[in-house]
Amino acid sequence: MSILSVHGLSKNFRGLAAIQNVSFTIEPRSITSIIGPNGAGKSTLFNLITGYLPPTAGEIQFKGKRITGMATNRIAELGVARAFQIAKPFRDLTVFENVRIGALFGKAGPRDVDATTRRGLELAAMADLADRPASELTVGQLRHLEVARAIATRADLLLADEPCAGLNPTETAAMIDVLRQIRASGITVVLVEHDMPSVMEVSDRLLVLDAGAMIADGPPAVVSKDPRVIAAYLGTPDA
Amino acid sequence: MKKHPLLVALCIVAAAIVLAFGPMVLPPFYVRVGQIMLYSAGLGVAWAILGGFAGYASFGHAAFIGVGAFTAGLVESQFPTLAAPLLLLLGFAAGAASCAVVSLLIAYPILRLRGTFFAIAMLGVSHVCSEVTNNVDIFQGSLGLNFPQIAPAGMDPASFFYEVYLAGATIVLLIAWQIRRSRFGAGLLSIREDEDTARMLGVPTERYKRTAFVISAVLTGMMGVIYAHSLGYITTESVYRDDTNLNLIVYSLLGGMGTLFGPVIGAGLLVFVTQVILARLLDFHLFATGLLLVLLILVAPGGLSGLLKRRKTAA
Repeated sequence: MSILSVHGLSKNFRGLAAIQNVSFTIEPRSITSIIGPNGAGKSTLFNLITGYLPPTAGEIQFKGKRITGMATNRIAELGVARAFQIAKPFRDLTVFENVRIGALFGKAGPRDVDATTRRGLELAAMADLADRPASELTVGQLRHLEVARAIATRADLLLADEPCAGLNPTETAAMIDVLRQIRASGITVVLVEHDMPSVMEVSDRLLVLDAGAMIADGPPAVVSKDPRVIAAYLGTPDA
Repeated sequence: MKKHPLLVALCIVAAAIVLAFGPMVLPPFYVRVGQIMLYSAGLGVAWAILGGFAGYASFGHAAFIGVGAFTAGLVESQFPTLAAPLLLLLGFAAGAASCAVVSLLIAYPILRLRGTFFAIAMLGVSHVCSEVTNNVDIFQGSLGLNFPQIAPAGMDPASFFYEVYLAGATIVLLIAWQIRRSRFGAGLLSIREDEDTARMLGVPTERYKRTAFVISAVLTGMMGVIYAHSLGYITTESVYRDDTNLNLIVYSLLGGMGTLFGPVIGAGLLVFVTQVILARLLDFHLFATGLLLVLLILVAPGGLSGLLKRRKTAA
């Protein structure tokens, strides 16, 4: 059974159709990347799935349960976590304390808070920075912190919003490694990503959005050769 | 360096026991100063449960002092024959209940506002409560309310209220300490740091903010009930005070915003400066508070505890 299924999802901002009739399903333990040009609606899609914005139409199901219109924190309690593109650390806290908030809350159910915190730190390769104040981290480290905190919620589905944006090649490689580790631990990952080489390398499947509509869906090697995808990125040759 | 969790509570209780001997050794003037310090510290900590922990700085908490005090007075006046300790308990119950109701009623709309907007809206709430108390006859705000003398016979009322304030402030501090170390407290902290992220991590932000607001309001109201009894007679002006609204923020700013002991240190210091050092310059109190506030923001935006922390990391 798919872990996430989106059916006929639309979101209008006044007149603008940011997401138009988008449907897809996500299989467990996979890494799926949602790509598309700027303004294609990728982040809006994440905002809809996490309940940060209500959809205009359509339905979202997580583990077979309808989550459309549910409060963000309720969706998190079911097991959906999100890592932001622009890292939003709790700046006054240390790395450990940041991740511990995720472990204290997140998915409902019993847990060992400290052990969960440590596991999140380890999965995101942040264990040796545990006592560092979040305000002192580099951009790359902050991205890892976002991921660690999201994982510590014991989520089954991680939505990662451009985890590699603005990172240098070494940092990007480290992040890709972390994402693979996360999938290996049994968590399903959905990425929004611009960095095509990392997308091609890490994804099991690509979904391509353009102007709010889904224009392609399939394995990276196939999708990247799809003429519609190439047209969306590079534009169509004028007749 | 893991502190034993109960150590802080033991320190609070030990300090309270030591302070309880205050009235036996202090001259009367300082007993009164001590009263104001303890009252302010209790209010400051109650304020900080919402303003410091959750980052929702209220500029109108005097509303709850007034609501608590007036409800207690009106309810107590219905039972003129009741024994003093029972009367005080009744006053606490009435004051707490009314503050809980008022704060619950306004929680939903007002907690949707953030930052300065919330602060100013609370100032509005404080003024509305004040006007209502003043102008609706049953509340007797402009006429004033008398409170029966509850100090036991043979005990100096000033010493008695010093001890009651001490008990009140200690209880408020212990409650705040317990909140601070709980999951609830961690949730409030995450709300202060970044509310949207907190919600994304599964923190029930709306419920937590509402709970913190009600706890803060109820504890403020209970301190207000003690205050009303110690005054013996209150009018609208004596409880709905804008300088209280301001001071509650200054206590936390001075001692350290968001910390447990910050408002205690801040209240102690500010009361000492205004009541002892500037005792003869009553008109200067607000001026001094304002000046201190400006200096503080410029020199030590993290308050005294922030300053100490910076020292420590620099060393």
